[in-house]
Amino acid sequence: MSADVRDILDIERANTPEITRDSFLATKKRNFERTKHASRRPEGMHREVFALLYTDKKDAPPLLPTDTALGIGAGYKQNKARLGMKKVRKWEWAPFSNPARNDAAVFHHWKRVSDDSTDYPFAKFNKQLEIPTYTMTEYNAHLRNNIQNWSKVQTDHLFDLARRFDLRFIVMADRWNRQQHGIKTVEELKERYYEVISLLSKAKNQSVEKKTFVYDIEHERRRKEQLEKLFKRTTQQVEEEQMLINEMKKIEARKKERERKTQDLQKLISQADQQNEHTTNTPSTRKYEKKLHKKKVHHQPRPSKVDSVVNAIEIGSSGIKFADLRGSGVSLRSQKMKLPANIGQRKVKALEQAIQEFKVDPAPPPTEEICTSFNELRSDMVLLCELRTALSTCIYEMESLKHQYEAACPGKTLNIPPSLVPIKSETLEPNAN
Amino acid sequence: MTEFSAESGGRLKGVTIVKPIVYGNKARSFGKKREEDGHTHQWQVYLKPYYDEDMSIYVKKVHFKLHESYANPNRIVVKPPYEITETGWGEFEVVIKIYFNDPSERPVTCYHILKLFQSPVVDGELSSSTTMDTKKGLVSESYEEIVFQEPTQIMQHYLTLSEQSANGLLNHDTDFEEKKAKTLDNIINVKQKVKSEIVSLKDKLKLARETIVKFKAELAKVQKPPA
Repeated sequence: MSADVRDILDIERANTPEITRDSFLATKKRNFERTKHASRRPEGMHREVFALLYTDKKDAPPLLPTDTALGIGAGYKQNKARLGMKKVRKWEWAPFSNPARNDAAVFHHWKRVSDDSTDYPFAKFNKQLEIPTYTMTEYNAHLRNNIQNWSKVQTDHLFDLARRFDLRFIVMADRWNRQQHGIKTVEELKERYYEVISLLSKAKNQSVEKKTFVYDIEHERRRKEQLEKLFKRTTQQVEEEQMLINEMKKIEARKKERERKTQDLQKLISQADQQNEHTTNTPSTRKYEKKLHKKKVHHQPRPSKVDSVVNAIEIGSSGIKFADLRGSGVSLRSQKMKLPANIGQRKVKALEQAIQEFKVDPAPPPTEEICTSFNELRSDMVLLCELRTALSTCIYEMESLKHQYEAACPGKTLNIPPSLVPIKSETLEPNAN
Repeated sequence: MTEFSAESGGRLKGVTIVKPIVYGNKARSFGKKREEDGHTHQWQVYLKPYYDEDMSIYVKKVHFKLHESYANPNRIVVKPPYEITETGWGEFEVVIKIYFNDPSERPVTCYHILKLFQSPVVDGELSSSTTMDTKKGLVSESYEEIVFQEPTQIMQHYLTLSEQSANGLLNHDTDFEEKKAKTLDNIINVKQKVKSEIVSLKDKLKLARETIVKFKAELAKVQKPPA
């Protein structure tokens, strides 16, 4: 505080050390640590709330940053910026020379007095390429291979440009002296340049240490041509291509759909085969029965639920039709024991209970024999469960009829056949009859 | 349908080859919770042929998919023994996918619930055979059969080669022969019981329906006057 006042009044102040980058960073760190350790529960704050902020590991709380004094770094509540409390570091307008230049030009820039006068730091970005040179004898010995396209003058011009423009071939092609040396494309320049380089390195036996580049002009030309074509497509062409791609996707989707359908058909056919085998046993009687039932239902004033259940059982819609895994390919035998998907949840539940009741392994080791008999067993079990429910519905109906009768003419009763008096009624009313 | 016949070209009509296999896991408890990661068991999940043969002749690779909490849960084994040894603390479903040497034969997938703990034995409750052995630790394994229906020519060649390499029965921790026989006996037994109950239920149902018709007639008689 007093330092501020002194500062404002321009009074000589206590000698504080000069700020440097290191000292600045160091103070920052120390402050951070201090605030971290000084985490004490503020008065009035509930312990549970505080525990949410600070776990025993002192890690940062999983909360949004706050502007209260609680947060790490004291948020916005810091009273004043800590900058400027130390002596100012001086700047000076100093001359410097750039080592990357060879003209010894001297420029000036601002720099800190405290900083050491090192080399100009940006000098290192002035990279120099090493463009190989060749002598007249070397040229005559090795480089006269393509004299009708590339004369000595042209090659010299190429290497001169390469040195001047640091191998920027686009610029080199642009600055190529067309009047004197004729028109050359970027690719031709590149081809000749790399050709010369590899010939020279071969001649100087440098191939071991330096990698030689092979420039495939044809490939490059075609690549650029393709890019050019791609770039110059009209909107219509782009649209047409997109359209074609979409069409192809549609065709593929349709093909998949068709395949799926043929597979389904295959399955249906094999199922139908199975059913035919069953129905051919007693086709006439079943039809007859069906007709009978229909008539009965018609005559009765109140069609009972029982009839529909019994109908279902007698028509043979009960039991399970297991998928027949014919066709070719690999499969696991246990797949044969999988319940088909069209079985209702109720049937599945009932089947599970029956399997438990009869103490059968629900997933037996799947040999062919076991699979077949296990499937037959489960089909029978479903039938059994349906028969049981049908019977209990019948008995319920019988009893309700009996009660109606008893109510209609008191004192008289109807007798349920003893074999149909189920165990259930014994447990419910042991004194009946 | 034409597509179908075209696809089955190169397959051997009417040929079916069956390769029995056994898959499952062994587990052994550390006896305590390991400090660093809380793991309690060392386990080994495996797939092996039922007969002692060289599966690598027809199997290209076996892909074990472990629980996602394991570092790189997709483990691929390209040669026998097809097994993964790991440590852990929990049971989960291991997906075992078998790829064949002929890429036109689709891979098959088995699912195995990794067992570490002996569950209370309930009749007919265990899907795979779990045995506890004080020396070997816990073993939970299942029998399975890979069925090659109308294999391709090259696949049949591999399968026969493998057959020739067969060398009797492998020694398995579970006696599957006994289990197969017992299970089949049990199923046939139960089937008899179910069949006889169905017959008696059908009789009862018939009687019940006749009785209902009778009751209804009686009821109609007494109810007529008021109506």
